[in-house]
Amino acid sequence: MPTSNPLPPKENALFKRILKCYEQKQYKNGLKFSKQILSNPKFCEHGETLAMKGLILNNLGRKEEAYDYVRRGLRNDLKSHVCWHVYGLLQRSDRKYDEAIKCYRNALKWDKDNLQILRDLSLLQIQMRDLEGYRETRYQLLVLRPSQRASWIGYAMSYHLLKDHDMSLKILEEFRKTQQVKPFDYEHNEMLLYQNSVMVEAGMYEEALKHLEEYDEQIVDRLALSEAKGQVFLKLERLEEAANIYYGLLERSPENWAYYRGLEEALKLEKSDERLKIYKEAEEKYPKAHAPKVLPLNFLSGEVFKAFADKFMRESLHKGMPPLFVCMRTLYSDPEKVKILEELALGYVESLKEHELFHKDDTGEKESPTSLLWTYFYLAQHFDYLHQTQKALDYINTALEHTVTLIELFMVKARIYKHAGNVQEAWRCLDEAQSLDTADRYVNSKCAKYMLRADMVKEAEDMCSKFTREGVSAMENLNEMQCMWFQIECALSYQRVGKYGDALKKCIEIDRHFTEIIEDQFDFHTYCMRKMTLRAYVQLLRLEDVLRNHKFYFKAARVAIEIYLSLHDHPYTGSEEAQQKENENLSPSELKKLRNKQRKKAKQEAVRRERQKQEEQRKEQNKAKNPDAELDGPKEEELVPEKLVKLDPSQSVCRSVIFTERKPLLVLQAIKRGNNVDPNHPLFHQCAVKFLKSVQEDQKLSGTVSEVLKQSISALYGDRDAIILNNEFLKKNSKSLPHSFSGAKMMYFLDPSTKDKAITLATTLSDLEGISLENVQNVYESLKNGEFGLCEKQLASYRPQCQKLFPYATVFQTSKADTPVTNHVDASAVTVLANGEPEHVS
Amino acid sequence: MNIRNARPDDLMNMQHCNLLCLPENYQMKYYFYHGLSWPQLSYVAEDVKGKIVGYVLAKMEEDPEDSVPHGHITSLAVKRSHRRLGLAQKLMDQASRAMVECFGAKYVSLHVRKSNRAALHLYKNTLKFDIYEIEPKYYADGEDAYAMRRDLSEFIEKFGQLSLKTSGKGDSGSS
Repeated sequence: MPTSNPLPPKENALFKRILKCYEQKQYKNGLKFSKQILSNPKFCEHGETLAMKGLILNNLGRKEEAYDYVRRGLRNDLKSHVCWHVYGLLQRSDRKYDEAIKCYRNALKWDKDNLQILRDLSLLQIQMRDLEGYRETRYQLLVLRPSQRASWIGYAMSYHLLKDHDMSLKILEEFRKTQQVKPFDYEHNEMLLYQNSVMVEAGMYEEALKHLEEYDEQIVDRLALSEAKGQVFLKLERLEEAANIYYGLLERSPENWAYYRGLEEALKLEKSDERLKIYKEAEEKYPKAHAPKVLPLNFLSGEVFKAFADKFMRESLHKGMPPLFVCMRTLYSDPEKVKILEELALGYVESLKEHELFHKDDTGEKESPTSLLWTYFYLAQHFDYLHQTQKALDYINTALEHTVTLIELFMVKARIYKHAGNVQEAWRCLDEAQSLDTADRYVNSKCAKYMLRADMVKEAEDMCSKFTREGVSAMENLNEMQCMWFQIECALSYQRVGKYGDALKKCIEIDRHFTEIIEDQFDFHTYCMRKMTLRAYVQLLRLEDVLRNHKFYFKAARVAIEIYLSLHDHPYTGSEEAQQKENENLSPSELKKLRNKQRKKAKQEAVRRERQKQEEQRKEQNKAKNPDAELDGPKEEELVPEKLVKLDPSQSVCRSVIFTERKPLLVLQAIKRGNNVDPNHPLFHQCAVKFLKSVQEDQKLSGTVSEVLKQSISALYGDRDAIILNNEFLKKNSKSLPHSFSGAKMMYFLDPSTKDKAITLATTLSDLEGISLENVQNVYESLKNGEFGLCEKQLASYRPQCQKLFPYATVFQTSKADTPVTNHVDASAVTVLANGEPEHVS
Repeated sequence: MNIRNARPDDLMNMQHCNLLCLPENYQMKYYFYHGLSWPQLSYVAEDVKGKIVGYVLAKMEEDPEDSVPHGHITSLAVKRSHRRLGLAQKLMDQASRAMVECFGAKYVSLHVRKSNRAALHLYKNTLKFDIYEIEPKYYADGEDAYAMRRDLSEFIEKFGQLSLKTSGKGDSGSS
């Protein structure tokens, strides 16, 4: 041992006992033995003992003391690998992986062949995706322990991850040759399939096929074997063999869509009647299978489509299959199909009412009344999808008259109200649904979600608490269980009512889940080598590399960014709006209590916000240093706006860089990226206009910066200025509401004297695409918020127009009297249905 | 709905589906543990957009008391909006077959709350499970569980390792 301070035999024996105690987690005994050494004045500064004492204290949760002891130990014995290793372990337990790696490297300087340290180092390297370093360490481990399985696998995998497939395969093959294969050897089977997946990734299809055939008998995962074979046969264009494989796979699982695709490719089927044939065969062979009845609807058209859809719909309605609409929804992107489906369903209603048959000429037994019920149910969803709220409600209410206690009906009714813009009525319907079956968590969750949409956080939490652990608050339990849908809906609700502190808190909780999930992979680095589940392991690594692309993270990041921006634009004054909203219904004494509480809370929030802002700035700075940060693998706590720019070039994201940072070059980068994604996006357009204007007007820019900006801008926009750019945008997109609105906003922004013209442009509601509730509401709220200056007159005439278009949306209503009448026994609905062709409402 | 073997990148969305549908929830690491120990055994049902509408999360019993290799269903859920499509049964059949093929399972076990009549009905009548015993206070809130089992002989005969072995021998004999 290269330690500079060796112990005499008696103390050395004690020291060994400390190590043993640590391994066996007998921390108290460990401390006792260390005391025995350290209490001897000759050894009271013994480095390795101090370090071990620190390590044990760390495991007992006494972190500060731990660092003191470990550092003191290290200072006393800088040449000890034990001291460095211990310091590394301490850093690792604090997730300071970069620091820990440095420590391990120092430790290895003094004991270069220490297996434990090499193993620990390799774990950190793979966790941090230092792939080159990982390969080196794995090489050393292989040299030191060539007889161990993990040595070979780890070394081969390091090459695979570095995309050196040839080397990886060579090592794996050498390893395979040494293996004694037992019968039904799962782990060996996994090794072979991993080896094969590397071949496929390398594009070595011939070799991969030979490999699969040669070791067929040793592969127990027959599914993976067949799937790999099918894929390889297709790549090699050995189509007949591929077709056979896919027939076999369908036998195994006729619900796997990929097998139909594989079969179509293998049989070179292009015309729809040829394609239909294999589905008809499958339907005959697997009568219980759903896929062959549904998938052809996607590629069929005209009369053939109609006949096929007719058959499937009748079967489903007859059986009473609630998800029928869910199965058909993807077809609704095709207006011709929508028309056919509508005709069919309306026809069923007619005929069922008169003849109790789906079609009056049908022979056979009469349909039960539930067939009609499910047809109403289908039509309600159909018209809801087409935004024909009145008809949707008519059908769902008629269905409810038929059966009052069917949960599905209330759930659909709730959705209709949600889409129509009445969140209050929506949650009430779901509340009724959940009261009919309080043991069903799905209905409970939906109810809570709709409550959150109606900004009833407390009620939503109470609702959820019926299914969370007793003794803990639901919020806490849901956080512990990483229940992100709930946390995101909470954040959105808090954002809507202006409780920014609470909203950010939820966003940060979500961010922490992602950090934790990245942390979760740590144990699997060793575990999977042992279990040999290497294909799954590589997939895990690749998942973790892009984990923060997940939609939950995206949504949370978006909320956080929007809030930071809004705080920047309107510095915090104590959440007046939220106060006002809440105060309306309170007595004076309650009000006083509330004010006190809010004052306190505001203080806390201010502190928290300050911290978060610093955090955000730090991140922005990091980003400036390293614009391709996402290439470097997972990082802790990062709400990175760049990723958002890539996915959705929204105004908020670009603006975050523009106005909080005042760093025009960074903005330029964002603009360039956005331009690559979708230059015509209405929100991105606003960023571009604002950017152009700010550059034109900014006199303070330094020479080089201004030169770079000028060149890049002229490359992007030629000699167009902001006004020209905006006019072109408006002209190009004159038929789209969101674009007109965006252009109008910029028109006013660039030249306030165009106010009237801009407002007229924004409030046009005829002959445009994109007149959805969401888009119209955006215009309305922006007028209301003064984004076009004062415009009460225009607002007063705009509101009733909106209301006429969206009669159920509460946002355009001024009083209760505005709400259209709908009760369960809706006379008009019944007559409409009795007379067949209902009138179009919108 | 498309039914396929679950991959590691499905596991987060399975957790989401689980939190929506069931009272028994787990942290991500537990899903990873399943997906990385027995990648063949978990299955998902997804809609056209790739949203998970149902899943089965399954494992092999490690060190079984009766030393008979057998699988265990940790969690099975289908969204209420996708019921009556027979998804639960199809998911279970795929998982059971994989248990037999890859791990030589003889039977598959699961737990169900004594009060959960709907689930009990599904397991008993549709999925052919039998009540094996009652485990008192199995759940955190003190409720008893029915421990249920489904014998996999039917799968073993059709897809088991023995049949694989004989067909394998036949192949090598002819070549």
